[in-house]
Amino acid sequence: MDKRIVRLLITIPCLLATGIFFAREAAAWVGAVDFRGKEIRLQRPAERIICLMESALTGLYMLNAEKRIVGISQNVYLGNTFHYYAKMDKRIRNKELPAPGNWDFVNIESVVALKPDLVVIWSEQTESIAALERHRIPVFGVFIRKKEDIFREMHGLGELTGTAPRAGYLITYVREEMNRLQGRISSIPENEKPKIYYMWAQGNLETSCGESTVNDLIETAGGRNVCRDIPKEHLVVNLEKILAWNPEMIVMWHNERKDPGDILQDSQWARIQAVQNKRVHEFPEVFLCDLWTLKFFYASLLTAKWSHPGRFEDVDLDREKKRMIKVLYDGKMDGI
Amino acid sequence: MKSKDRALALYLIPAPMLLLSLFIGPSDAVSPSDVLQWIGSGLGITAFPLIPENSIIDAVILEVRLPRILLAFMVGAAMTVSGNSLQALFRNPLVSQDILGLSSGAAFGAALALCIPRIPIQPAAFIFGLLAVGLSYFLARSRSQVSIVSLILSGIIVSGIFTALLTIVQFFTDPFKLQTIVHWTMGNLHHADWTRVKSAALPICTGMMWLLLIRWRLNVIALGDEEARAVGLNPEKEKIFILLPATLIASASVAVAGIIGLVGLAFPHMVRLLVGHDNSKTQPVSLVFGGSVLLAVDNCSRAFADFEIPIGIFTTLIGGPFFVYLLRQNRLNPGEK
Amino acid sequence: MPEPAIFIEGLQFAYGTHRILHDIRLDIPHAEFSVILGRNGCGKSTLLKLMAGLLPIQNGRIRVCGNDLVTMSHSQRGEMIGYLPQMHSPTFPFTVEEVVMTGRASHVFLSPGKEDREKVFQAMSLVGLGYLSKRPYTELSGGERQMVMIARLLAQEPRVILLDEPLTHLDPANQARLLLLIKALIKRELTVLAVLHDPNTAFLFADHLFFLEEGSVYTPQDGREPWDPEVLSRVYGTSFESIPYKSRFLVIPGSD
Repeated sequence: MDKRIVRLLITIPCLLATGIFFAREAAAWVGAVDFRGKEIRLQRPAERIICLMESALTGLYMLNAEKRIVGISQNVYLGNTFHYYAKMDKRIRNKELPAPGNWDFVNIESVVALKPDLVVIWSEQTESIAALERHRIPVFGVFIRKKEDIFREMHGLGELTGTAPRAGYLITYVREEMNRLQGRISSIPENEKPKIYYMWAQGNLETSCGESTVNDLIETAGGRNVCRDIPKEHLVVNLEKILAWNPEMIVMWHNERKDPGDILQDSQWARIQAVQNKRVHEFPEVFLCDLWTLKFFYASLLTAKWSHPGRFEDVDLDREKKRMIKVLYDGKMDGI
Repeated sequence: MKSKDRALALYLIPAPMLLLSLFIGPSDAVSPSDVLQWIGSGLGITAFPLIPENSIIDAVILEVRLPRILLAFMVGAAMTVSGNSLQALFRNPLVSQDILGLSSGAAFGAALALCIPRIPIQPAAFIFGLLAVGLSYFLARSRSQVSIVSLILSGIIVSGIFTALLTIVQFFTDPFKLQTIVHWTMGNLHHADWTRVKSAALPICTGMMWLLLIRWRLNVIALGDEEARAVGLNPEKEKIFILLPATLIASASVAVAGIIGLVGLAFPHMVRLLVGHDNSKTQPVSLVFGGSVLLAVDNCSRAFADFEIPIGIFTTLIGGPFFVYLLRQNRLNPGEK
Repeated sequence: MPEPAIFIEGLQFAYGTHRILHDIRLDIPHAEFSVILGRNGCGKSTLLKLMAGLLPIQNGRIRVCGNDLVTMSHSQRGEMIGYLPQMHSPTFPFTVEEVVMTGRASHVFLSPGKEDREKVFQAMSLVGLGYLSKRPYTELSGGERQMVMIARLLAQEPRVILLDEPLTHLDPANQARLLLLIKALIKRELTVLAVLHDPNTAFLFADHLFFLEEGSVYTPQDGREPWDPEVLSRVYGTSFESIPYKSRFLVIPGSD
């Protein structure tokens, strides 16, 4: 009998202990569903992240999770957004952070050598993803086609890096900003919303149609995308079609080879209302107007002010910009 | 004289074809009657009041359709005439600008000129096009003989090298590279404007005129070097005077429209099926046939969708099966060597 | 004495270090049918190609109708010398008429005209090819092609005609037709020089005979006739028997 009681007395605490241990372990798991619908589960928040897409990279800085980044894309060093990241991160300033790939190509071997516990990458890069997963590296694949996707991405990154509260805070902040903008736009009658043609930097005829973040941008800014009825993301459209749409305003993505002035002087575009009324605008730069990030609402605000200069007279873009940078990047980028 | 009648009929196609093309476009904003009115006013028959709606119609016809139609015709004509000349020159019905590396050489030259300031595009395209053909030819040459197969092989290699170089250039200069490379390599006409028409017109018209003038000599050259020398032609000299204009017009086309697949290879075969092998006939017929057919293909692509599909996709889809047909019929007949 | 149609002096030729012709001296008389005989590889074809301007002259001199070959332009040469190349198969199925027309190359500036078409028609009738004019050249038999190339040569209207083994590929009827044609050309003041395989044809039809032996012209000594078996056995390296025929002799090779 005694022995039994003793055994019991020993067994129960042991069971309890293991139970608690496993329960604690289970609680430590973090997880998120990525844009491929795949559930990513990590034992603990990711500590060694390789981020090969700018949207998520800037998201990680917003989440104050940059210390966990161990690899980025070469484009960060080469592109015109370098000085922003350099300002935020000494490792980038000194070009110390390894770059095992660029936006399009991934060097699997270099990635594996960095021993990451999470890789964030565009979900279209299926081959790289398959290769990484063969090496049992968790991959968070992202695909952004509308503004809600950005919130989803931030939410997922927050979960996987253990910064969910910060992610929630940022998402709420941006939603509120969007609602503020929405409040102003909602009173505008449909016929006062300008028809907008959006022009990518690759070429005059490259635009984004109905199912795109650009379409969201134009709509939240109180405009009408001329090609919103075409259910596509990125297209090269017919110049004749653009003439027939006769947009009232043209919004150009930041373009290093062309300025609004070039469009205004192009004889092929001369008869378009937007050109005749000189309503051709270009996003001043890439980083702050990035449509695939929470900074999206600043681009919306810019476009809204171009679309309805009268209604947004009181909006001080410069102040809005500074406030956005302060909130989103938690003061890391003040004074840039 | 059946083929003669056919040739005559073919000469009559371009004018109505060009006119008809003005009526075709993806937008409903310009109706056929608008086009009629526009043409009428151009001829001074009807009035074309300058109201805002008409301003867009005028812009569509004058700034969009007309330059594109002219460019499509010029490029189609140039690629076909040049393809036919190259096939006669190399005595090889299986060569074309693409196979000889000319196209990718010219595309590389044009791309290089785009990213290095102050280098004019057309001459750069021409020089690299010529360089590529020259390389293919000399790589294939052994004991002053160039066999059909080795020319094709060396052409594929040279073409591959220049395509790789083109990719490198675009990789380092264009942040949106893949998209643009696709458009370059599949060929496109949707950037047609008067600037492009003007830049291509001079080399294409001069080169084509020259090739039309010497069209009969292609027959002599096509028979063989010794055969040409025996009747008092210097084949080396003649070949250079065929190669230069053929390269000129092809690279001018590539510089404005990219590489439009299979036009230079398949279209000359279609022409020969129609009018026989005499280059006195095939050269001018290549001009009208190549121009009209490429224009017709582009018209379909313009009428087909609101968005732009690289025209090279269509020509390849048409040219491919046709070539398979020739192959099955054993019509390519590269002769014994 | 009129100047010879072709005058060759001190002609040497080598492919690289391999010497083919040594110091050739030859006069081909005007408006007559001359034949060169010799064994395979003795340099006959090379000699003919040099005369036709298809090979560069390395040493020596060739004058055709009084003009130095080296100074002639391609088209001058084309008007003066016609050469029948050995057969190549062309890539493109040009019609017979189109192939014959290429003979006019040295006369045509850009495109052939009415006169050229007439000459082509005449040339084709002369060799009896009229019925083939629209047929693709590539579909013809070897013999027919040979006749087409001869028609092309006639359309070229040269003053000197060089034929490299013109009878190979031809059936007896066409051989006879060609030989008669050559006779007719001689009457029209043309000079014809042919390389032939068969010595008998040469004995029967040629006005002049030349032997080529190891790159040199061999002239029979002591007034021997060319059909002398001893002469022939030296040239060809095999024995011959000669049989009297009309005023001449024919020979049969290989008999003792």
